Amino acid sequence: MSQFLEYLKMAVSNIRGNKMRSFLTMLGIIIGISSVILIMSLGNGAKNVITEQLAGIAAGQIALYTYDETGSYQITEGDIEAIETEVKGLKGINTYMSADGSTNTRKGEFQVSASGQRASYSVFSTSEIRTGRYFNEQDYLSGTPVCVIGEKDAVRLFGSVDVLGMNLDVNIWGTEVSFKIIGVEKAEQESMFTFTYDNSPVTIYFPLTVLAQIYGVGFDTYYQIYLMAEEGADTAAITSQVVELLERRHQCYGEDIYQYESFSDYMGTVNTVINTVTMLISLVAAISLIVGGIGVMNIMLVSVTERTREIGIRKALGAKTRSIMLQFLSESAIITMIGGLIGIISGIAGAFLIAKIVASVNPLLAFTPSVNIATILLTTLFSSAIGLFFGIYPAKKAAKMSPIEALRRN
Amino acid sequence: MDTLIEVKNLMKIYNPGENEVRALNDISLQIARGEFVAIIGQSGSGKSTFMNMLGCLDVPTSGSYYLNGKDVAGLLDDELSEIRNKEIGFIFQGFNLIPNLTALENVELPLIYRNVPAAKRRELSVASLKKVGLEFRMEHKPAEMSGGQQQRVAIARALAAAPPVILADEPTGNLDSASSKEIMQILKDLHKDGRTVILITHDDKIAESARRVIRIMDGKIVSDICQKEEEKEDVKN
Repeated sequence: MSQFLEYLKMAVSNIRGNKMRSFLTMLGIIIGISSVILIMSLGNGAKNVITEQLAGIAAGQIALYTYDETGSYQITEGDIEAIETEVKGLKGINTYMSADGSTNTRKGEFQVSASGQRASYSVFSTSEIRTGRYFNEQDYLSGTPVCVIGEKDAVRLFGSVDVLGMNLDVNIWGTEVSFKIIGVEKAEQESMFTFTYDNSPVTIYFPLTVLAQIYGVGFDTYYQIYLMAEEGADTAAITSQVVELLERRHQCYGEDIYQYESFSDYMGTVNTVINTVTMLISLVAAISLIVGGIGVMNIMLVSVTERTREIGIRKALGAKTRSIMLQFLSESAIITMIGGLIGIISGIAGAFLIAKIVASVNPLLAFTPSVNIATILLTTLFSSAIGLFFGIYPAKKAAKMSPIEALRRN
Repeated sequence: MDTLIEVKNLMKIYNPGENEVRALNDISLQIARGEFVAIIGQSGSGKSTFMNMLGCLDVPTSGSYYLNGKDVAGLLDDELSEIRNKEIGFIFQGFNLIPNLTALENVELPLIYRNVPAAKRRELSVASLKKVGLEFRMEHKPAEMSGGQQQRVAIARALAAAPPVILADEPTGNLDSASSKEIMQILKDLHKDGRTVILITHDDKIAESARRVIRIMDGKIVSDICQKEEEKEDVKN
């Protein structure tokens, strides 16, 4: 062991003695490792942000829809009640229908996206109430024309967020409806998925039953409903329970009439895509690592040739094959390890730099790179392995030299 | 007489077959502990090959070589390394110091390969450098020293591990006459201290320092003459 320390010392003094060359040798490894780390941490960071933002939009949400041409499989109010009473772990069930409308205020004329919702809108909303309240079950059942709007829209319509109790007259398909504003929602945090432009319509949310009054028909069957699972609930289990219930009620077991898409399925797809892309780019970076390893081997071979005489001297003085081998192996292992370390640091620094540049160019795309310990350990291990692997051949070549041959050469 | 080296019917043949070269042709000799022997010969005489054999840097084609009572003629690479490390201190014509190590580190080398612990190693190396008068040059690298000083470092290195045999191959070949004199004086002093010194040279004048002169020609010993020690000392001084 003490002997091994001696070889390490020799290796270190040699690396120090040839600083420029050692650095150039490391360069390949540095570039390889830093690009792997860079790409992985950027990929992870982007994934985190996308997950977070999508979670804000749709966490726990399951969309259930039916392909039905006969009409007998549409989801009825009765189905919804049955689901509410029989399936555990649901926060709410919603359906909605949107209509286009327009309104005139003292700020001008606006297009209105009128979104009729069930009372469970409050649990589906990705925002939260700022002042006032959401419409409730009673508003829904009685078809009261009350509405909730976002604070930004409030400012656009009235120049103020202080709009509770005000009336908003909206023309929907030729019918004038006077909505009483009962709630103002906080502005949603802007994310890379929200796009607003100046003349985008203002959106109001109100009981779906108001739309039924306008159209003059009651809505009691739906092609599509939305389920909101409680936090941490098993969405897959809930979904299959609901589908089973519907199939029982409509006598259509196993006919795949009811389809669904859950947020976790969607997230799974997104994650798979990001992971695949990250892995692919990392693979390319890993190839550059191997090229770097070959670079180490090249330089070590040159070094062996250059130091033939030194090897001869050492052998003459009693160095054994193993001693020479260990000395040269330690050298390449240390070079790659230092290179790996520099690579890790510069990779992380690079990722944060890129994130900073992205954030300053487009704040909506801002994200924090995420570095995980496993990646670092893995790349460190990999770079040491490369050092050892590519160091073996030159070290063997050095160790096998005959002392007279080696001493004879200059 | 305590025999340190015993060589019998030593042969070294290069290119066996039609164009074979007999670099060493049936050499037999004995060297006792404490002798100062010069092996002299022109280039191509086989003296370098012989020195490689004596130094266990190479193995003979046939014949036997007993060094300090051990048969070393048929040893493997690593075994030879061990023998060189324990039994032989080398002094080369070209000094053969490692350029990026200091004088002290160079002297420590054979001790490292002998697994001597660091503190003891340093102590032995410093003592050895003192013996050749270089205690103030310990941290210098070879390039920062004169040829004579470099050769003294090499001698210190050969002495540090206290091997029974000092093998000097043209030790003054690259030195001016003043440095040569110095080096030869050190070798003579070593001999006086009771060490066995084998000097390989092509130069009769250098060989005169030794008490016994063995002349080699065409791979064979042509003469083996002992002189009186006192006479030589007088002539030199």
